[in-house]
Amino acid sequence: MESLLPDILVAFGMGLLGAIVFAGIGLVSGTDETTTLAPLTLIVVLMGVPPAGVFTFFLAGAVAKHMTHAIPTALLGIPGDTLAVPLMQDATRMRNLGVPHVALRKMISGAIIAAFVAVPVSVLFAVLLAPFRESIVASAPWVFLAAALFIAWFSPGRWSSVMLLVPFVALIIALQAGTGRFGVKLGISYFLGIAIGPLVADLFASISPLEKKRMMRSEPRRFSLAPDIKGWKGYFPNPLKVLDRKQTAWTIATATVSSATFVFSPVAMTVLMGEVVGARIKHAYHRMTTVLAARNGVTEATYIAEALIPLIAFGLPLSPVAAGPAAPLFNAPPRFTVDAATGQVNNLHNLLSHWEFLWYGLLAVALAALVSYPFAMNFAHRAASFVSKKLSHEAIIATFVGLILVISVWEGGVLGFLVVLTVGLVGGLLNRIFGFGTGVQFMGYYTAVLTMPAVFKMMGI
Amino acid sequence: MKEHGQLMEIWGDTVDRRHLAWSIAIGAVIALAGFLIARVLLRQVVENQAMAASYAMLVGLAGCLVAGIICAKLFAPKRVIVEEGEDPSWRESAMNELATETGGLGRLADLPPAVIAELKDVGLYDTFAEHERRAALADASPSTPVAGRRAAAAH
Repeated sequence: MESLLPDILVAFGMGLLGAIVFAGIGLVSGTDETTTLAPLTLIVVLMGVPPAGVFTFFLAGAVAKHMTHAIPTALLGIPGDTLAVPLMQDATRMRNLGVPHVALRKMISGAIIAAFVAVPVSVLFAVLLAPFRESIVASAPWVFLAAALFIAWFSPGRWSSVMLLVPFVALIIALQAGTGRFGVKLGISYFLGIAIGPLVADLFASISPLEKKRMMRSEPRRFSLAPDIKGWKGYFPNPLKVLDRKQTAWTIATATVSSATFVFSPVAMTVLMGEVVGARIKHAYHRMTTVLAARNGVTEATYIAEALIPLIAFGLPLSPVAAGPAAPLFNAPPRFTVDAATGQVNNLHNLLSHWEFLWYGLLAVALAALVSYPFAMNFAHRAASFVSKKLSHEAIIATFVGLILVISVWEGGVLGFLVVLTVGLVGGLLNRIFGFGTGVQFMGYYTAVLTMPAVFKMMGI
Repeated sequence: MKEHGQLMEIWGDTVDRRHLAWSIAIGAVIALAGFLIARVLLRQVVENQAMAASYAMLVGLAGCLVAGIICAKLFAPKRVIVEEGEDPSWRESAMNELATETGGLGRLADLPPAVIAELKDVGLYDTFAEHERRAALADASPSTPVAGRRAAAAH
């Protein structure tokens, strides 16, 4: 494939594919970024798609999904995924005021503008950070440990998450030693287990008589689907006209700031930036619409920056997004590998140049905008109605169960499946009970794989 | 009304326990069988064994989608979707909530013309104007706009 098609065509095709696939997935509320983006990107990597195509697939997918997940958030009042949670309050208010379509348009227009800002800003920050690469990579095991502690403390579990890193890391080391006895070395199964953990934990709980009581429901969930009113002519609305000048300015400003803070969690940045913007706008309507645009822009920008900056500058997955949904861009053995001990990195970091990251990044955002933006603006109501009336949750779970089995058995046969099951169950329960989030769990995995060998060496074990 | 004795909330939405058990079986069997059979066949055709397994994984993923479609056809969603009309009482309570929040409702006079036009466009201008008037009347005392906002915030 590589020799037949010029990279740019592959990049275009894969970006378009990613945008279409994830625009669809985004409509299904509750599909987490990590559970969908990571496995599909992984497959694209393992299929041998050229680096530019892998990159545009991931980025166009992430941006497209982010845009369509605003539809359930605004029209159904259920968060499209975890990133949408900080937007719920204002989105619900707008729904109650009878103008959910305005909320939706402000949100996705903020997102598209922020995405175009975030790509060049991220590349710029990455270039500025690149000189520190040597020292970061040289001390990579300790940088990962510090990042794990930091991300744990910022997770909902706070100190309990910091403490839980110890048994969780021990579990992963033990599992690795266990599968190692059979000559099986696994990577992806751990990621999949962590990503799918909440589902695994729920499935186990559902068959326990004790937990069953808590989970039983007497009637189906009720959703009210808000009406949608088209407010412009033509197919492709101009985002700069949907937002007024002040809103555009705030969106660009907050997107730029949040692109720089790539080590923080996107949710935390979103909350913080929303407060900063909201405090400066006097009128309630204007405040809600501006905060919605800015917050959705911040989630978009932080997400892009968290994936791109560590990738371009270091080639090491040093942020919650890089360690989670974007993990296959860094680490997808046997094709992409990270070796902390030697500082050897073989992934998109050294396969694409800074300029290529910039141009392909903008191409990916443009493709996602072309597919997702007019779709969300024009067909939001029909799409939300179709998904909520035709697509049962059972069907979604069936798809994910199949996905877990295929990928884990592909990687490690029965052992791969056992790892997914174990990591998923433990991670899912720790997440539910202690707030030991998936981001922390990913960092825990990296601590086990990258930091612990250095610790053992230091202790002379 | 149908019997809802088996409904349960799993992974953020309601499912029927029996339907869920079937779905898991269907998803597992179709996807895994697709993958394993494709791997056996492809290993005979494709030279590179690792690539054969990757292609087989793609077949398995297609199997996941097929399983999803079958389950979507077999099992209807356990959701009640209400197509909302306008409900004036919601609007009223949302306005009251906004008024009590930090910052309050604010004044239409502070807004740039573009936002005023937008408010009129979406049909909310009169609602906000009305509430502003009421808030002003409520602090009938010699209230400056700032004091009025503060009173509203403290409300």
